[in-house]
Amino acid sequence: MGSPIPSSRWRGRLAEGIGAQRVDYIRVPVTDIEQAKHFYGELLGLERNPNSPGDDWVEYEVGNVTLVVMTPHTHDYEFTPLPPATIALRVSDVAAAKAKLESAGLEVGEMWDSGVCHGAGVSDPAGNRILLHHRYAPYPDGSTP
Amino acid sequence: MHVERTDFVGVPVTDRERAMGFYGHTLGLKRNSLAHPEWPEFETGNVTILLNTPEQTGVPFSPSNTAIALRVADVAEAMRELEAKGVTFLFPEPYDSGVCHMAFFKDPDGNSLILHHRHAPYPDGSTP
Repeated sequence: MGSPIPSSRWRGRLAEGIGAQRVDYIRVPVTDIEQAKHFYGELLGLERNPNSPGDDWVEYEVGNVTLVVMTPHTHDYEFTPLPPATIALRVSDVAAAKAKLESAGLEVGEMWDSGVCHGAGVSDPAGNRILLHHRYAPYPDGSTP
Repeated sequence: MHVERTDFVGVPVTDRERAMGFYGHTLGLKRNSLAHPEWPEFETGNVTILLNTPEQTGVPFSPSNTAIALRVADVAEAMRELEAKGVTFLFPEPYDSGVCHMAFFKDPDGNSLILHHRHAPYPDGSTP
């Protein structure tokens, strides 16, 4: 789990500074772990890491990085939701993903077009605003992220 | 629906230049030269950190406690390097959870970050 998929553009060029090798995980604070497991595991369909410990610390693998759905109140700090667009999840078709989540009863924000990407926000049960994201335009040099 | 990957992790900042200095020089992350200059992107190896400002997002600033956990080979050594650059840590020594070493710190805007190194394998013997 958590297999690294480094972008070849950056491979071998990360040994400066403190020598950060990768992001091991990102915390997603929630208030109710069962509701969160339904949202992230069932509705978003993320793959749960079977090795993740504990019922208040659940790891989901999102292709390139681990999202840790966890409860701050059992880890000695207070819950506050993440700022909007903290986590941008890549989907192939934002409109289709929005329609799918809406059919499951979720409210999804209007899809926007930045000129290079589509996005639409959806809130998890704790109020974290997750961004459904798809960049459709290449970079100026023709490559894609 | 199929989620393919995490495209970026947004980090709210109030002073873009100061934040770029921190992520680019203090932490030494590589800036993506192809990204929009007003939406600076830094690459960590597997995921992109995107700096944004309240003016850009339309959301009042509040620091993020998502706590991006940066993998380093040696947490104590990385701590010493950052302390030499003026970064302060929550605890004076790395915290050992039993399976990993961690050191908690913040960027200049108060966004939570962690130096992280898992030293124990998973129960099934594999390593993340």
